[in-house]
Amino acid sequence: MSVENVLLIFRGLVHSLLTADPGESGFPSNAPLLPMNKRLRVLKLGWEFPPLINGGLGIACLGLSRALARQVDLRVVVPKAAEEASFDDFKLTGLNHLRLEEIQQTEGKYRYESFAQIERVPIHLDPYETSEATVEEIRMEPGGEVRFSRTTRHQLESFQIGDLYGEDLGTKVVEFSKVAAKLAMLTEFDIVHAHDWMTFLAGVEVKKATGKPLVLHLHASQYDRAGADARGWIFDIEKYGMEQADRVIPVSRYNGQVCSGHYGIDPAKIRPVHNGADPVAAYHTSKKFPEKLVLFLGRLTAQKGPEFFLEIASRVLEKNRDVRFVMAGTGERLKPLIESGAFRGLGGYFHFTGFLNKEKVNELLSMTDVYCMPSVSEPFGLSALEAAQFGIPAVISKQSGVAEVLKGALKADFWDTHRMADHIHALLTDETLRAEVVKQAEADIAASTWDAAAEKVLEVYRELVP
Amino acid sequence: MPDVCLYFQVHQPNRLIPYDFFHIGEHAFYEDDGLNAEVLSKVSEKCYLPANRMFTRLLREHRGRFALAISISGTVIEQLEAHRPDVLESFQELVATGQVELLAETYYHSLAVLHSRKEFERQVDLHLQKLEDVFQVRPRVFRNTELIYNNAIAAQAETMGFDGVFAEGVEWVLNGMSPNHLYRAPHVTQVKTLLRNSGLSDDVGFRFSDRNWSEWPLTPEKFAGWLAEAEGEVVNLFMDYESIGEHQWEDTGIFEFWKGLPEAVEDAELSWVTPTQATQLFRVVDDYDCHWSTSWADAERDLSAWMGNVMQQEAIAKIHRLEREVMEVGDPDLTHVWAKLQTSDHFYWMSTKGGTDGGVHQYFSPYSSPYEAYTYFMNVLADLQVRLRRLKEAGGRGAGGKRRRGRSVSGVFPSP
Repeated sequence: MSVENVLLIFRGLVHSLLTADPGESGFPSNAPLLPMNKRLRVLKLGWEFPPLINGGLGIACLGLSRALARQVDLRVVVPKAAEEASFDDFKLTGLNHLRLEEIQQTEGKYRYESFAQIERVPIHLDPYETSEATVEEIRMEPGGEVRFSRTTRHQLESFQIGDLYGEDLGTKVVEFSKVAAKLAMLTEFDIVHAHDWMTFLAGVEVKKATGKPLVLHLHASQYDRAGADARGWIFDIEKYGMEQADRVIPVSRYNGQVCSGHYGIDPAKIRPVHNGADPVAAYHTSKKFPEKLVLFLGRLTAQKGPEFFLEIASRVLEKNRDVRFVMAGTGERLKPLIESGAFRGLGGYFHFTGFLNKEKVNELLSMTDVYCMPSVSEPFGLSALEAAQFGIPAVISKQSGVAEVLKGALKADFWDTHRMADHIHALLTDETLRAEVVKQAEADIAASTWDAAAEKVLEVYRELVP
Repeated sequence: MPDVCLYFQVHQPNRLIPYDFFHIGEHAFYEDDGLNAEVLSKVSEKCYLPANRMFTRLLREHRGRFALAISISGTVIEQLEAHRPDVLESFQELVATGQVELLAETYYHSLAVLHSRKEFERQVDLHLQKLEDVFQVRPRVFRNTELIYNNAIAAQAETMGFDGVFAEGVEWVLNGMSPNHLYRAPHVTQVKTLLRNSGLSDDVGFRFSDRNWSEWPLTPEKFAGWLAEAEGEVVNLFMDYESIGEHQWEDTGIFEFWKGLPEAVEDAELSWVTPTQATQLFRVVDDYDCHWSTSWADAERDLSAWMGNVMQQEAIAKIHRLEREVMEVGDPDLTHVWAKLQTSDHFYWMSTKGGTDGGVHQYFSPYSSPYEAYTYFMNVLADLQVRLRRLKEAGGRGAGGKRRRGRSVSGVFPSP
């Protein structure tokens, strides 16, 4: 069912391309050759954006936007922006604040037929899902032909209510692509840059409506979220979007391998760019207990490898009783993990904190001795960089992007709990090794700026708009 | 026609604060004093005070013809001393009628008997001492936490000099025999086992307020009629005191029921006896061979209410594993804190059972889930370990030869 829907969406997109008439739109002709001194104009499509964020995507979008804005004229369009959010360097548009009149000029320029044929949109697609729930479906009444130009008040209002990752996520993704394309027709820009699958359809749509080159930024894929076997309409959108894109920017070489190897995207258009890390006010507090502290931080989903962390903790404790393990975060695996920890007899040494706010996370980091990230698949892994900023040495899985950045971090395959445990034990007991790892991390962090990332992104732009 | 033996359990646990990871090593007070006082006061107003008043009056009115037994845990006595001395006085008044027999149990309402004979005896002694201090009585009959019982516990009760011990009358041990007799565990000579008549006890303790029950509403006369029809020498009605007014609210008519019952029982020509009187009046009719631990909790009537899942098993094993360290350190306050963590309720709240029993577990839990109960408890345990470690190290440094205790790491950290 869901695959059919996606096909319907695709047909709608293709159809829109066919019926669009760029001549009527009054836009300058496509693919302009810019004077060398002229700043590129970039239309960026995002989903979550600070201060309205659920996860790392919003933070990364903001970091990159700020740095890019120093080099290009930037407009960022997101479905929902906070009332108070305004940025000096670039213009942020939340569709929740958009007035109908602003896009009414595009009436009748463009139409979709196939969106009207979508009867069911699978909902419950929260990529940051934290609890177990049943999958439901909503039913959209099939109507007559829906004209793209009819951006109803309802459409815009839909971005004012509910969660970005609420149960109507599927609908929001489609609506976002419609409105974004319409906005794009009223905007002068040279390149469109979309972040993660929620905006991929919109990116493709904008490309088709305006003929501008499309850059897709892949922060996390369905492969990372749901495993190698995950298929479904999100996977289809990701694959379709990347196929349509002129360039794909994964956040690491590891992530790029997923693009080419798993999604079959032409490696020739893949340009990995590592995320930057905003400097944090790192501090140190002394622990209230004599033991060392090893930290796991993240959503408790299978892909983050929390079960492996339990096993690693068991192995370390066999050798070294002078250590406590903390699993910070929550997710659908929390309850089974607690029971599994009890079964392994780790209680009293292995602590679950549940969800922690940023302040508490920092407090935890300020007393942590070793950071452990045994992710099964981690496109980047910003948290390891944040930990490094607190002077914490990291033991991370080879299946992570940040392993390419933190050159000195101790690494192992996520499933190799023996080696992970050995690494942790070594860092806890060998001061020299620990100092080396921390020192290397300091150098690596210094190089991991959003400016450096923006520089590379700009190179990608220049390939498309010389 | 049998006699009727009535016993009520009075107990309140010390609920813990939401003790998260950040408390470990820093926050040495584990109990939610405010919440414990609040619950105690609520139960006092709804149950303890009105029920004590009612029974004191009934016992005086039916002087010599009505009697009952009460077992009151050390933890609830402490709470009453701290927060509601007026309620403790009303218990003293009740006992002063001379018609109320007090029973012995573990001071901390714990499952210590399953883990450490030494700790179990220590807690029973503490409780006897407390009853002596507060009520000036010395019990003759032992009643273990939640009627947890097996052959070895009966033997233990005999070793400790009791005349009787309580148990749940479970069908798979009774094997067709009636619970309304006195029994004896194999290999004991003195102590007699009194079995709870679970059907008749639960009629009053649980089903009384259930409007879907075919016998609802239950009147004292109807119930006395059932008692009179029962076979055997003595029907043991054992239940929580809190079932009067707290588990079953006043508007269910539970107080009216109890007000009418002594007379209704008399009218049915039955007599009330206390547990000690029962052990004196009646001979044992047979062996009650209970290898497997039983209790009065949940449908299973076994230990699964406290030790049914891995979280419960780990928590209870680890708290008891600290015994040697705690005793070595010998700090009375710390020992008390540690022992209060043995209270069965802590483990009861970690139960992941579903159904009706799961609902009962959750009803009594101060936490939103058993996982939370476990997490907080284990954090508290971790803090206790940190404190023990510090005390041992300080003791080792400060006092030299004599006070030096084992400082080996393996001593501080029981293997997981």
